Amino acid sequence: MPWEVIIFYLIAGVAILSAGGVVAARNPVHSAVLLMVCFIQIAAVFVMLGAEFLAVIQIIVYTGAILVLLLFVLMLVDPEDLPEFHTGRPVQRAIGALLGLILLLEVAAAVVTRTITGRQGSATLENIEAVGGNTEALGRQIYTEHLLAFEIVSMVLTIGILGAIVLAMPERLGVSGYRRRDTISLGHPRGTDLALPATAGAPIRATAGSKPEPAGIGRTLVMAGDPDEQPVVGGGRR
Amino acid sequence: MELTVDHFLGLSAALFIIGLMGVLMRRNVLIIFLCVELMVAAVAITFAAFARETNTLDGQTFALFAIAVAAAEAAVGLALILALSRRVRSVDVDEYRTLRD
Repeated sequence: MPWEVIIFYLIAGVAILSAGGVVAARNPVHSAVLLMVCFIQIAAVFVMLGAEFLAVIQIIVYTGAILVLLLFVLMLVDPEDLPEFHTGRPVQRAIGALLGLILLLEVAAAVVTRTITGRQGSATLENIEAVGGNTEALGRQIYTEHLLAFEIVSMVLTIGILGAIVLAMPERLGVSGYRRRDTISLGHPRGTDLALPATAGAPIRATAGSKPEPAGIGRTLVMAGDPDEQPVVGGGRR
Repeated sequence: MELTVDHFLGLSAALFIIGLMGVLMRRNVLIIFLCVELMVAAVAITFAAFARETNTLDGQTFALFAIAVAAAEAAVGLALILALSRRVRSVDVDEYRTLRD
C-alpha cells in the first residue's frame, strides 16, 4: 500500500472521527473546536487533491473567520439556554440516524457503480506547473471564464454582511429618538439593551451617585441604559 | 491499491452524511449551524475531487465560490441565531414556534 493511501486514510479517519464528535459533543464549544480539527483535515485533503489555494482559503475562511465568529456568538448566548442533549426526543434521533444511513447507502451505491466520466480538460499537473502553480491557474480561470460569477459572489458577500449587521443590531437602536448613551460589554448580558437588575431606575452615568465598584483592570464599568431610558435631553454625549 | 477519486468521494459522502445526521438529530441551533457548515465543506471536497479527475479547474473554482457563499451564509445565520436567542431566549429549535402558536 503506497504511502499516499495510508496518509489519506489517516486524514480521513481523523476527519470522520472529529465530525462525529461535532454531532455527539454535549458542549457547543467542544463541537466548534472539533469542527476546527475537521476543517484542517479537509484542508489537508485539498492539498492531496492538488488544490493548494483551496486549502489555504479553507483554513483562513473556515477555521479563521467562521469558527471564530461562531465562538463569539456562543459566548453571547447564555449557557443555561443550551438544550439538554441526552434526554428526550428518541424518535427524532432514531429517524435522523435512519435517514442518514439510507442516504449513506444510496450515495455509496452511486459512487461504486459510477460510470459517467467527464471530458478531460487541459489542466493537468504539468500544465498547471507551466502556468506558475495552482493559484495562478485558478486566478486566470476565475478572472477570465468566471468573471461574472466572481462579481456576483462579491455582491452576495457585501449584501450578506449588511444583512447580518441589520439582523444583529439591538432592536431599540432602530427606534427614532432613541439615543444610545453608553455601552460596554463587560458584565452586560448578551450585549443588548436589556435591563440590568442592579441598575434599574437610577441614572447610570458612571459617577452619578454612589461610586461604582471597580471591576476589570481598575476601570469602572459603564453600563448601557435600561429599556425605559428616554432620549438624552442635555448633557448627553453629542 | 491506488488513491482514486472514489476515495475522496467516499470521504465527502461520509462527512456530508454526518453533518446531515447532526442537523436531523440535534436540537441546539448552533450545532445545527455547525453541521450545515460541515456539509458545505464536504461538498467542496467533491468539487475538488472531480476537478482532479477531469483535469479541469472548474471544480476548484466552484468550490471557491461555495466557500465564499458559505462565509456570507455564516454571517447571516449567526446574526439570525443571535436575534432569535434574544427574542426567544433559547437556542433550542423546538422553542421556536412563533408561526405555530
